[in-house]
Amino acid sequence: MNQRPLPRSRRPLSRRQLFLRAGALGAGGLSLPALLAACGGDDDGGAATTAPGTTPGTDAPPANGGGDELFFENWTAYIDPTEDGEIGTVDRFIADTGIQLRYSEAINSNNEYFARIQPVLGRGERIDPDIIAPTGWMAGRLIDLGWCDPLPLDQIPNAANLVEGLRNPTWDPTGEFSLPWQAGFAGIAYNMDITGRELTSIDDLFDPEFAGQIGINTEMRDTIGLIAMSLGIDIETLSSFDDAAPAFERLEAAKDAGQIRRFHGNDYFDDLTNGNFAACIGWSGDVAQLALDNPAVRFAFPESGGTSWADTMLMPKGAINRDAAATWMNYVYDPEQAAQITAWVGYVSPVEGVRDALVEIDPELAENPLVFPDDATVAATQSFASLSEDVEAEYDREFSRIIGA
Amino acid sequence: MTATSEPARQRVMTSRPDLFGLFALSGAGLLLAAVGARWVTGPLVPIALGLVLTAIVAVIWTAVAGSPEAKRKIAPYGLLKPGMLWLALFYLAPLITLLRLSLSTLPSRFAVDAELDWNIGNYTTAFTDFAPQFGRAFLYAGTATVFTILIGFPLAYVIAFRGGRFKTLLLGLVVIPFFTSYLIRTIAWRSLLADTGQVVQLFDTLRLSGFFETVGIMDNGRVLNTPAAVIGGLTYNFLPFMILPIYVSLEKIDPRMVDAAHDLYSTSVEAFRKIVVPLALPGVFAGTLLTFIPAAGDFVNALYLGSPNTTMIGNSIQDQFLVQNNIPLASAMSFVLMFIITVFVIIYSRFFGTEDLT
Repeated sequence: MNQRPLPRSRRPLSRRQLFLRAGALGAGGLSLPALLAACGGDDDGGAATTAPGTTPGTDAPPANGGGDELFFENWTAYIDPTEDGEIGTVDRFIADTGIQLRYSEAINSNNEYFARIQPVLGRGERIDPDIIAPTGWMAGRLIDLGWCDPLPLDQIPNAANLVEGLRNPTWDPTGEFSLPWQAGFAGIAYNMDITGRELTSIDDLFDPEFAGQIGINTEMRDTIGLIAMSLGIDIETLSSFDDAAPAFERLEAAKDAGQIRRFHGNDYFDDLTNGNFAACIGWSGDVAQLALDNPAVRFAFPESGGTSWADTMLMPKGAINRDAAATWMNYVYDPEQAAQITAWVGYVSPVEGVRDALVEIDPELAENPLVFPDDATVAATQSFASLSEDVEAEYDREFSRIIGA
Repeated sequence: MTATSEPARQRVMTSRPDLFGLFALSGAGLLLAAVGARWVTGPLVPIALGLVLTAIVAVIWTAVAGSPEAKRKIAPYGLLKPGMLWLALFYLAPLITLLRLSLSTLPSRFAVDAELDWNIGNYTTAFTDFAPQFGRAFLYAGTATVFTILIGFPLAYVIAFRGGRFKTLLLGLVVIPFFTSYLIRTIAWRSLLADTGQVVQLFDTLRLSGFFETVGIMDNGRVLNTPAAVIGGLTYNFLPFMILPIYVSLEKIDPRMVDAAHDLYSTSVEAFRKIVVPLALPGVFAGTLLTFIPAAGDFVNALYLGSPNTTMIGNSIQDQFLVQNNIPLASAMSFVLMFIITVFVIIYSRFFGTEDLT
């Protein structure tokens, strides 16, 4: 259960190169773009965004609906780019449909992103992206706040390919507001060169040997979830703050002791590969990709188990390019296309039939339990309980007090 | 009878332009601040702006068409006007808005607009929950300021007195790093100070790591993400703001005064202490303000070079403003920071005096 074989992509891609190309701003947090976005009052994607492989054609017709291009804001390194002679999904989509797509990697953490869109959507104004990719729980918050438009599902026939397990999820019981983008797991990501040994439990993150060399994820459900599981708490049935209080205490004690180097969002790649982090709480697909560059970087489920989650695609209220967005969602729910994405990102695809398509591309990856979870993997993971609003507020408050500056 | 009333009327006439100038100036400033702070809204805005415009035109009219005496009297107000109006709109109005926000409460968790309810609680929270961050901000900024003086003074001294024909070149070398963005330079330090980076390797090669661990510069083999890295970053980033004012002060010193001191049997050390240092103090004073104030509110260095245990108040304010979206609390924290810095500066200028600062 401890050491998982790493998913191997067919293509020897380098995320580090991707990051270098994205510019130094992309490297360390998104606070400046967040600042700019907040000052500007509108959300234009931030400065630290990059669109891998988006080379807009010159003769493509404008998209429908008033906006001149479809705009998708997603997490970092979450789609196959055009690289090394392979055409990325964004460019294939543009070539196949003639719809201009602006693909931006503006999301570093759910809370950061929410803070950017809240002042805009909260005033009933429109944000620029037509599709955004919050994690399930955040999607649930946005849906509850009424800040989302229902998806034009009648224009997305491929939505029928959605795997059974992700239909009508807790955050979107009717399934009319969101389609999953990718799903995956959180566990321990570590750099073997620094640790000198395999890490097998969450306790290793609190080993004084690694004082000041541990990264902790700002995603509360992953961080508190993993710590709580290591303390023997069932995170699927949490109902009050007290249930998880020991996990918060353990985190705060570690912070006060100087164990934690930095709280990170999706921006942990550099610190992990260059050895600033001995270990951190990472996401399965990311780490698989990093391992291609630096084989010392490993991912492991802790003995007490990992957490599972799903990121979604949803349309913020007032999104202009509805038809183009539907075309895009339909496109990526085609198993052939979805398999291309899976081959690069190494996450769990929500699309039925990807495995058959992936066998052609990368047979080894098609057998990887982190990408196609077997029963043992599913048994070893838990997903965080869906909290009532007041309890969630209490969790958030305490967590942001600990990780906040 | 006319003899007595004539001078009286003249007095009124001559005092009128400056009274009018003062009235027009303060009135226009207050109106503009009121519009900026959204006290005046809706259809009243064009009226208020019209009044501001009228005041400006009236002052200009008096200055152009008035008697020479009136022109002389109103000139200061006319000249102050652009600056005052600028400050009213871009300093006073935001300050009022911030003050009002700091006394407001968010009606619900995800509310966007805070409601003014004279909530003093934000200020108590700012003090109780963020005391360590305030403490670190002033500790780090103060330490960094001392380091900039220790590094900057000798450097400015050498450039000013020994630079010769290379003075301009040397000053240019001080300024050149500023051609690159502050943010990029700070992030670049992350690679240099990384655990496997050049700096740590150099320390290891020179077998200095043990010593640096003892004095607290290194922590478990790390330089990056320690207090030393934050203070180092602040020192590095604000150094030119110390060097340049000190250089200007030193440059004005006539070297013959030092010669004269030598002629009067003072040693070089005494000459330096009694001639150079006192004359350079205004530069040190200005440099200290230019370094300490922005350093105390800085969040970039602590963000990129620090750890969760080295956060400064700037990080907390940034976090509350942009991540927690708790704008009332962030406003209160900003006000507390402004207040403390103001007190510091007042105390500091009592000791060093500002009258030399010319």
